[in-house]
Amino acid sequence: MMFSPRRLVFLSLFLSMATALHLIEGLFPLPLPLPGVKLGLANIITLLVLYLYDLRSALVVAIARVLLGSLLGGTFFAPGFFLALTGALISTLLMALLLRKTSYFSPIGISIIGALGHNLGQLLMATILLQNVVIIFYLPLILLTTIPTGLTTGYLLYNLLARLKEEGLYAQLTRDGEEHSLRMPEK
Amino acid sequence: MTRADKILIATIFFCALIGFAQIYRHCISPLNEIFPRQATISCEGNILHTIDLHPAGEKRLLNLRGAHGTATVEVDGDQIRMLTASCPNQICVRQGWIERDGSSIVCLPGKFVIQIDGSTVVDAVSH
Repeated sequence: MMFSPRRLVFLSLFLSMATALHLIEGLFPLPLPLPGVKLGLANIITLLVLYLYDLRSALVVAIARVLLGSLLGGTFFAPGFFLALTGALISTLLMALLLRKTSYFSPIGISIIGALGHNLGQLLMATILLQNVVIIFYLPLILLTTIPTGLTTGYLLYNLLARLKEEGLYAQLTRDGEEHSLRMPEK
Repeated sequence: MTRADKILIATIFFCALIGFAQIYRHCISPLNEIFPRQATISCEGNILHTIDLHPAGEKRLLNLRGAHGTATVEVDGDQIRMLTASCPNQICVRQGWIERDGSSIVCLPGKFVIQIDGSTVVDAVSH
């Protein structure tokens, strides 16, 4: 897996940010009567990398973030680790699909799809781990929570992208001598 | 936010609602029929009646007679109410139907208490 040095540096920076967000989020559970509901702040970074670069970079950041985050958070190879890994994989793939193949969605919509993919991946993995489909009853509740969490992260990302463009950093971050399907965020 | 975003949010919302409705229809409501909730009617701590609240049960009336007055209780399906009471303030009658676990009607002057007990199937779920 080769990246140009410039992109490698940026990806490492994004990875450290995503890991920090992942850890911080693990420390402060949302005060909701539902176990396992999180905002998904680390997903912002995955989607940002997807906007700036390509699917390969985003997958590397997402997987490495889950590995590092669980290693530092003490959940490495615990059930939660596999849930997070499947969730991150499926959400990254879904978001890439939507971002590259359609042009209807804003960062907010793609964030919601990311949250949805994350939750569906987690439920799928939980079903496999528990060998029981009873957890499917959790699905409607999970679906409902993706709306506020996806909206929040999407709004944050939208502002982040606008800010990067404003400061002229967007072009600097993507100028790394590698091919990529550059797509400036629309409204 | 584009139009597609809004459509997406609405779709997720409706899927969730349909999911809740399906779970209720196929899992929770049959449970209530197999294991009906129970209502106990007591006067000054003595249990006068214990009634199964079947969702498809028939309408019936129960006459209560206590040391401090009389009352009529109406049971219809899985809900229950105080139809008439001899008390002066009629608070118990005006409370209307109750159907949820743990809810109750109390007639203080007549010393009548109607209480719906929780379903006997599941009283706690731990993870």
